[in-house]
Amino acid sequence: MPERLKIAAVTTIYFKISHAEEIVDRFLDGYGWNGTHHHPPMDLVSLYVNQIQKDDWSRERLKRHPEVRDSPTIADALTLGGSKLAVDGVVLVGEHGHYPKNEKGQTKYPRYEFFKQIVDVFQSSGKSVPVFNDKHLSWNWEWAKEMYDTSRKMGFPFMAGSSLPVTWRIPSVDLPRGAKVSEALVVCYGGVDSYDFHGLETLQCMVERRHGGETGVKWIQAYRGQKFWDALSAGVWPKKLMDAALCRSHTLTPAREGFNDIFPTVDDMQRLTKDPVAYRYEHNDGTMCTMLLMNGLVADFNFACQIAGRSEPFSVQMYLPMPDGRTTLANFFSPLVNNMEKMFLTGKEIIPLERTLLTTGLTAAGVESLYRNQTRYETPHLNIKYQPSTESTFWRT
Amino acid sequence: MLTRRRFLESAAVAPLALNALQGAEPKRIAIVCTIYRYLSHAQHMGDRFLIGYPLNGEWHKPNMKVVSLYVDQKPDGDLSEARAKEFGFTVYPTIAETLRCGGKKLAVDAVLTIGEHGNYPRNEKGQILYPRYEFFEQARKVFEEDGRVVPYYNDKNLSYSFEKAKKMVSAAHSMKFPMLAGSSLPVTWRLPDIELPLNCEIEEAVMVGEGGSDAMDYHALEAMQCMLERRKGGETGVKAVQMITGDAVWKAGEDGRYSKALLTSALSRSDTPLGLTVQDGRTQDLVGNGELPKLVKEPAAYFIEYRDGLKATLLMLNGAIKDYNFAARVKGLGIQATSTQFFLSPVPNVTYSAPLMSKAEQMFATGVAPYPVERTLIVSGILESCLTSKVQDQKRLETPYLGVTYRAPTQSQYARS
Repeated sequence: MPERLKIAAVTTIYFKISHAEEIVDRFLDGYGWNGTHHHPPMDLVSLYVNQIQKDDWSRERLKRHPEVRDSPTIADALTLGGSKLAVDGVVLVGEHGHYPKNEKGQTKYPRYEFFKQIVDVFQSSGKSVPVFNDKHLSWNWEWAKEMYDTSRKMGFPFMAGSSLPVTWRIPSVDLPRGAKVSEALVVCYGGVDSYDFHGLETLQCMVERRHGGETGVKWIQAYRGQKFWDALSAGVWPKKLMDAALCRSHTLTPAREGFNDIFPTVDDMQRLTKDPVAYRYEHNDGTMCTMLLMNGLVADFNFACQIAGRSEPFSVQMYLPMPDGRTTLANFFSPLVNNMEKMFLTGKEIIPLERTLLTTGLTAAGVESLYRNQTRYETPHLNIKYQPSTESTFWRT
Repeated sequence: MLTRRRFLESAAVAPLALNALQGAEPKRIAIVCTIYRYLSHAQHMGDRFLIGYPLNGEWHKPNMKVVSLYVDQKPDGDLSEARAKEFGFTVYPTIAETLRCGGKKLAVDAVLTIGEHGNYPRNEKGQILYPRYEFFEQARKVFEEDGRVVPYYNDKNLSYSFEKAKKMVSAAHSMKFPMLAGSSLPVTWRLPDIELPLNCEIEEAVMVGEGGSDAMDYHALEAMQCMLERRKGGETGVKAVQMITGDAVWKAGEDGRYSKALLTSALSRSDTPLGLTVQDGRTQDLVGNGELPKLVKEPAAYFIEYRDGLKATLLMLNGAIKDYNFAARVKGLGIQATSTQFFLSPVPNVTYSAPLMSKAEQMFATGVAPYPVERTLIVSGILESCLTSKVQDQKRLETPYLGVTYRAPTQSQYARS
């Protein structure tokens, strides 16, 4: 029997419902998958946690799983105390934790720095293994690009991204491959340099399937606060698609007292939504996309697009079983972990890395446009072309 | 392949049944309910006929007009008069007047009855004595006296009493009016989106749920029934039931009275394990890690023996989970294709009642019930019989009266587009 793969986890912080906890726990304790409690056929052998705080649960996990090495450094997690790379895969979770923000409001999560240390071990060992990076590659576009280039140059499988593209969909549908998409939009919630990335990944996992595949993005413009409402009334993005997306929500805030599920007017939206943000951008082939953060109005991710030849929009919710009172378990991490397992076992990227490279760049570009007083920001650096995976990769079994 | 088909369904087929009727004269609807208060079933279901609801990616406005309302009780927070004023209908003091809109003859095209919530006594079996049969009887009398019948929707189980439920269904059949009833669980979204193939061979089934009796156990039983009725030979009726509670439930698992593998499978579909998950976020195999008996102080098992030999078990696991999940062992199918969560979307929107109201609307519009009321009839009887078993020393109860036979609808009826 072949030996079980050894996986190292490199994380920022490990509190309840932090990304590290959700991802690493699924390797340690298994998770519901395909109708059973699935244990990954590999061993998580080492854990590095950058910040151990009062609410830490990694110590409890290490105690309960004594086979896992408590690694004081990233290099140690990868070499297991030796001098050479001693694992078959690396999970990098650089989300949450106390890190400074820059003047643009971006949290400087050390994903690039962690990645560099991982690559240093690869280089000194003369060998590299697959790496998964949770969420976007880096807050800094140049660094993200370098991470991408490094993985291509050194030839190791590298996957990244959000759970939004791979979670349940309600209804359980994918954009038909090759569909001609003129406009696409997502209505979601959360903050800038945070859930905006999830919204952008929601959009991108769908529009990359359009006719011709991905062609890259030309420019982006952000709208915030009153400018958001002005743009809506000026028809900058199609209200019809916004309404279609809202009809997929399960969390529309009731606009009137005594009614539990009522469709909001624009006035209602304006009253209910706090600090709305829009990123409007154009792909090189002319496809237009809009990401809307509408806190106070919805608490889910809803996609809609216009497909040539169809009078009505195509729409779907990317469903997150969210442990904010709705559930107790953030099971949208299950398909993400399952994709990691597949990559570690096969050495093949299940999701094209270019998707997350593009959404990383879009997130930074959206922040940049906001920082530049919501002006249009040209993005020649986002001339990223790729084709989607042949198979649908969202959760449906 | 799957996705393409689903896409086409969502694109074209599903909305046709309702939208084709949009040009016609609006159907006149009477609502008959126990109470009309925020988040009562009557409010969140009745409102969908007043202000529309999300359906197939649109905000669908039924081509129907609520013309009259009967509310049996008006507790604090009653919304009936406010709704009547805003939407231009009348609240009548009796059901007969509601159906006749104050006139002499039946003056509506359909009746939406919601006898859930409100202050009603419980019997010795713990059943709340909602007056659904009594409501039905009053409507039936109007139909009889006025020589005309219209489609009748009844929310949840037909009655706490199988005898009464049976009379309701018999009357609907003999007087030839379409009748639809039941829970929203059979028609809500499923995670994953699976349906058991028609005429499959089901060897055993386990359903898990939580919540009080006789409210939530009904939903769980009907969710299970909508899967099991698809088996080879269709529904054959129930031979016997037994309900047990306490440690006997765990012992029954050890003794193989229900499959622990199926229990594990059903729980693998849950998004709400409690205990250690709530404490520190970890994932759990609640069967494998031995936590289940620690978490569930008062477990209840509902054993159902069907006449064709199928055995099914509902486990109500208060304290362990907060959602409703199903698993079955089906000949020739892997467990990934035979286990799912019946998705109850969050409060306050409870969007899961939208697909249910679309089924009522469909019947009102077409005069054809999209699935047989016998499903609700048999589950009404299963629940009552289980609760009888519970108070009769939790003994196995033969159920010769539960010879309800029917066939599942050929088309899947749950939300998937």
